[in-house]
Amino acid sequence: MTDDRSTPLQKVLTYAALVVILFLVLVPYGYVIVTAFKPPYEVYEVSWWPSEFSLDSWRDVLGIYHFHVYLWNSLLAGLGSAVLAVAIALPGAYIFARKEFPFREPFFYVIVGTLVFPFILLIVPITIVWIRIGLFDSFLGLWLAFQIFAVPYSMWILRGYFARLPRHLEEAAQIYGCTQFQAFWRVMLPMAKPVIVSVLFLAFLQGWSDFLFSNMLTTGDGPRTAAVAIYTSTAGGERVDWGPLMVMTLLAGIPPVVLYMFAQKHLARTFAGAGH
Amino acid sequence: MARSIDIRADLDRPDRTRAAGRRRSVLAEDRWLIIVFLLPTTLFMLLLLWLPFLQGIWISLHNWPLMGEPSWRGLGNYRDFLNASYFWTSIEATLIYSLSTLFQLIVALIAALALKQVFVPAKSLLRGIMLIAYAMPPVVVGAIWLFLLDPNLGMITHHLLEFGIIDYPIYWFADNTWAKWMITLVASWTFWPFMFLIILSSLQAIPQSQYELAEVYGANLWQRFVTVTWPNIQGAILVVVILRLAFNLAKIDQPFQLAGGGPGYETSVLSILMYRFAFMSGDFGMAFTVGMFLVAVTLILLAPFAFLYQRHLRQVGR
Repeated sequence: MTDDRSTPLQKVLTYAALVVILFLVLVPYGYVIVTAFKPPYEVYEVSWWPSEFSLDSWRDVLGIYHFHVYLWNSLLAGLGSAVLAVAIALPGAYIFARKEFPFREPFFYVIVGTLVFPFILLIVPITIVWIRIGLFDSFLGLWLAFQIFAVPYSMWILRGYFARLPRHLEEAAQIYGCTQFQAFWRVMLPMAKPVIVSVLFLAFLQGWSDFLFSNMLTTGDGPRTAAVAIYTSTAGGERVDWGPLMVMTLLAGIPPVVLYMFAQKHLARTFAGAGH
Repeated sequence: MARSIDIRADLDRPDRTRAAGRRRSVLAEDRWLIIVFLLPTTLFMLLLLWLPFLQGIWISLHNWPLMGEPSWRGLGNYRDFLNASYFWTSIEATLIYSLSTLFQLIVALIAALALKQVFVPAKSLLRGIMLIAYAMPPVVVGAIWLFLLDPNLGMITHHLLEFGIIDYPIYWFADNTWAKWMITLVASWTFWPFMFLIILSSLQAIPQSQYELAEVYGANLWQRFVTVTWPNIQGAILVVVILRLAFNLAKIDQPFQLAGGGPGYETSVLSILMYRFAFMSGDFGMAFTVGMFLVAVTLILLAPFAFLYQRHLRQVGR
């Protein structure tokens, strides 16, 4: 780290790139934050500072739009999605990474290949089936639907990580008297902590952010998530209530960003070997 | 079949000189573990993915209204779609929207290389800032851009007018030429951090010794990039390009929120067109026909990258 032999040119290019990118990323959010604290009448004129600091939009979001209900639903949708993704994908990914069995590779591609599959194709059949078996408008129905994307994605990430762990770990564990399952449970799982955290985070994000399934599979009285509520407000015809809407974007946008801050160390380690 | 596993498993086993009886029980245990662990994943994928997909193909061969009885049409839907006036409009929109992957890659690569430099301070803060857009739900980002680009009260439109860059307010998402490019740019802004995250992780995993070696040979900045950096991140780049291309093709929430598939069919990428048929006209037969085209386009666009990736894997010996 200390030995920095970067050329001046390298520094100029780097800082120029960073300044441009940070500008493009931060300016939109800056304006959203300013707007969220404007008094209602000022939202509709472009200015970079509110004449008075107002919480009216925030009050409306909770009082009129009951946005906290949708946020709570998003939280539950995300948590269920995360737990289920690990439960379904982890055992399979472990086997695909560390055991030999016939047709392993083609079999794996049948599963992970669905990742590049336009899963919007499945919305209609799944909606029909969900209505028939009573999963429509329920959290369980949402959680299961999210797995269509989350499972192949998690499988891909998990298998890559397990495959990069040192060989013969399980055999070593067995020499110390572990069964196959104990070798998995007591040796491999603790080593896989970064990737498990990553999968939990990404599957949570899937549940929290999803629009397509959350919109199709729920009604206004059911587990409507914040993403759907925001979409509905922007599609709500002529008059969009921009002040409260910008507050909603902050409320729905910040929790995953905070979670990301906690997960980022693990994510970096998870993806360090992607593509090898 | 079972025979071949035994042999390979034996070769893999450091303790293969141990008693044969013990080995057999270990293998039996192994087999049970494989079956029990694979079952949930497999069942899930079959029931929730492949079964509905096959059902979708079946539906595409019918006249399948929301209400009423479906009737067999054979390839009629496919013929109708190929001859429809919006066919090429939709294909064009889909290809333009796919360019978003390229824009994302350019920004992500530049940002990742910048953050790899040792002299840059506050790296984890910068990395965090750059990932904000990706962590937020796409419809949240969409709502923000609808506001910023609003022709009458949007901040960006306002400043563009003020600086004389445009002469009159443009309805960015309702304009025949602008709409499809704007949804592409907003998608790029939303999703580039995903590529950035994976490319940066891959960059950080490059052993410093490789750079030192290159310097010993007197390699300049560009030569170091070509001989050390690029070969090390090539695999990661192919992976993210494949994933993002596929995800983008399947995306409908954000572009639909921004432009609703219009004006006309200008921003009706195949996935949105499918959505329009299914949920606005209730014509499921046609919706799944479009869906099958979407699968075909996805496969065609991914094929070259999948090929390059396979070649890459062979080169690195996996």
